[in-house]
Amino acid sequence: MKKTSGKKTKALCDLVNVVTVFALLFGMTIATSAAPKVKFSENQNRYLADPPRLTFKRYFSGAFTDDAENYISDHFIFHDGFVAMRTRLDMLQGHSDVNGVYILENRLVEKIAPPDDSVTEKSIAAINAVAAGTNTPCYIMLVPTQAQIYSGELPSDAPNPDQKQYIDDVYARIEGIGTIDVYSPLSAASNEYIYYRNDHHWTTQGAYIAYATAGRRLGYEPFPAAGFDIDHSPEDFRGTFYSKTLYPDIPADRLDLYLHPAQEKCTLDVYGDVSAEPTVHEGLYFREFLSRKDKYSTFLGTNQPKITIHTGNEGGKLLIFKDSYAHCLVPFLAAHYSEITIADSRYVQLPYRDYADPDDYDQVLFLYNVSTFMDGIRIV
Amino acid sequence: MVFSQLSFLYLFLPVVMLLYFFASDRARNVMILVTGLLFYAWGEPFYVVVMLISTLIDYTAGRLMDRYDDRDDLRRVFLLVSVCMNVGLLAAFKYSDFIFDNINALFGSDYTNPVLLLNKAINRIAPFGLNERRVELPIGISFFTFQSMSYTIDLYRREIKVQRSFVKFAGFVSLFPQIVAGPIVRYADVAKELDHRTVSTAGVSQGFERFAKGLAKKVLLANSIGTVWAQIKDTPFEELSAVSAWMGILAFTFQIYYDFSGYSDMAVGLGRMLGFTFPENFDHPYVSTSVTQFWRRWHMTLGGWFRSYVYIPLGGNRCSTGRNIFNLLVVWGLTGLWHGASWNFVLWGLYFGVLLIMEKYVLKDILPKIPAFVRRVVTFLLVVMGWVLFDTESLGAAGSFFRAMFGANGLISEDTGYLLRTSAFIFLICILLCGTLHTRLITSVRGFVSRKVSPKGMIIARTAAVTVLEAAAVILCTSYIIGSSYNPFLYFRF
Repeated sequence: MKKTSGKKTKALCDLVNVVTVFALLFGMTIATSAAPKVKFSENQNRYLADPPRLTFKRYFSGAFTDDAENYISDHFIFHDGFVAMRTRLDMLQGHSDVNGVYILENRLVEKIAPPDDSVTEKSIAAINAVAAGTNTPCYIMLVPTQAQIYSGELPSDAPNPDQKQYIDDVYARIEGIGTIDVYSPLSAASNEYIYYRNDHHWTTQGAYIAYATAGRRLGYEPFPAAGFDIDHSPEDFRGTFYSKTLYPDIPADRLDLYLHPAQEKCTLDVYGDVSAEPTVHEGLYFREFLSRKDKYSTFLGTNQPKITIHTGNEGGKLLIFKDSYAHCLVPFLAAHYSEITIADSRYVQLPYRDYADPDDYDQVLFLYNVSTFMDGIRIV
Repeated sequence: MVFSQLSFLYLFLPVVMLLYFFASDRARNVMILVTGLLFYAWGEPFYVVVMLISTLIDYTAGRLMDRYDDRDDLRRVFLLVSVCMNVGLLAAFKYSDFIFDNINALFGSDYTNPVLLLNKAINRIAPFGLNERRVELPIGISFFTFQSMSYTIDLYRREIKVQRSFVKFAGFVSLFPQIVAGPIVRYADVAKELDHRTVSTAGVSQGFERFAKGLAKKVLLANSIGTVWAQIKDTPFEELSAVSAWMGILAFTFQIYYDFSGYSDMAVGLGRMLGFTFPENFDHPYVSTSVTQFWRRWHMTLGGWFRSYVYIPLGGNRCSTGRNIFNLLVVWGLTGLWHGASWNFVLWGLYFGVLLIMEKYVLKDILPKIPAFVRRVVTFLLVVMGWVLFDTESLGAAGSFFRAMFGANGLISEDTGYLLRTSAFIFLICILLCGTLHTRLITSVRGFVSRKVSPKGMIIARTAAVTVLEAAAVILCTSYIIGSSYNPFLYFRF
């Protein structure tokens, strides 16, 4: 009697177990397929995978199954919750970095790989070649990232290349080019809000410091900070570092626009493709991004191969080879030049003279943050 | 498809199990074949055809052997056709590049691998996307060829009966739990269950428990510790400090164990859910007290296969010492080569061959006198050294790595401390779970509780605990699968 009842209990328990587990699996699947599909993830700041297309070629190349896997993963129910959970679990294990980002007490900073000297050498050679090939005076500004300015907040044993030393080293190997040191003024201002806490860029305040410093080398008289009318965005900006970790415990950031009457006449020729006709944009700011996730694109829009800014002001012509750090510095410079062209050589395969010829300008500036420069600037 | 993909976990598995559970016996056999082919075709769009053709040939060879039961000469021919075809497939798809590379290097010639010409010709018919520069290994080819051969060889030896149903035989070969990475299930292991098996709630429950355990081993342990090895392997070996090198190869030691034994757990569990009992593949290999014992506990089905079909036919140990040593070296050279077409693998196999010969002939009187603890540590270290050969790209790289391990580039480097600190936890878990300590602990807890609780209560408590753990494992693994791009399966290459 007792034995049979034990068997019954066992059978019932097995059933409960199987039903529970499969209800979990089916539940997630049904919830995933029933949930509305979004094309763009604001949290992760990227387009999500499209439904896989089944064609002969795509099936046999393996593209179909890869796409299907990505589609399921991207649109999986509670996707962001799962990613955030993973971040927490990694931290519980004692990791200080998740997905290439160090999670510190007050901010997120990039985990930068040790620099590869052959890449650096190539970038230096490219810059030297540009300078040697023109009579236009050239300048370089390498901007340290938060990983350097706040290196003291990192765990003491965390791998973190010394950017100060790297900048000094690059400046020493550069020939015939004026070097602009922004490391010293930025590190002196490290108590101020000069870098975002959740994004890899510097803030407008950080860029102002560089603007004020560079005037002496570039030959303009910088306006005092008080001369700008500052427009604060709400504190709801969570940038690229947040997207990689979905770590919510760092306070969100604020975006500041330093407005000045000298910016008001600016028009932009935006080249999505350097050999095609540009589209024209009135004004330096793309305010529609203020209500989006990718708020930093308020400054000159998203990263494009080339933008020419007609400022409507008096002054010379400036060419900048740059990464996105330049975007919030350019509005300051606009007052002092009649035309500024910014070119991102990383997105163009053509020789630089075909889209940005130094001979057409009065000054050339190379402006990169150290992390980008370590990755290679690829000027051909 | 692999078991740690979302498409498997959330679509394939629940849907297949639901249909399978309520299907008739006949329909189940068809389902096994169809699902196996779908599963395989998901990852190998083209080579699924190769697998089917080879299955058809082995099936036909079996039927013919049965038909000409009294003609030994004919039976031998049919066996030979089957074995040659399977070995030929391996030679073409796994070893041909290696063979041609070596021939060309040795003679300074410039022969093109004919398999590549064949790929080119097939691509011309339609865009099948076959690689025309290197032969790509069809997933699981090392496993399904060995499984098929076990059928024809055993049939020739009259150890099993012929399988008349093509659906059942093809179902055996393409059985999705084991097709891509084993265990190497021999036909004899599942012959009875192919004809009669019970599919029950108890089986599904037990099977899923095993599956969840394997999934957690693979996704939570193997992938996590694997990132440590991946980082260290990225450093040029000429700059690697001794501590980093040791940490790296120990990380790989645990990665490959949890990866492969996790996969085997999942396969055994899935088999159980479908009503099959697969052979076990691992038995706590890292606590072995000798290399001989290690190989009885590591990838047991592969060792068993080589023993039955190579070692014993060669004469095994019932022959002169010299011949036995020769046999062992042949078997271990082949075992190495089975893992991949490179000299590193051959050397890795022979390394173990030599160690086993030493244990058998030189150390057999000394070993028992050494304390078990010391033997355990020495065995473990010998295995770890083996993994260096196993997971470096060339003999030169293995050499540089060994030099790094023994301090050629200094004891520690800048990143050593951070790596050590951030991986300490996962190392600790991996070390604790590879022995038998935790199973003994669970047994004693269970013993303690059972004295307080009724047998019925025990069943309920256990079910509750298992269900919660399974759900937790599924959710945790999902978060790791979604949140990370690093999800390799090591034994796919073999």
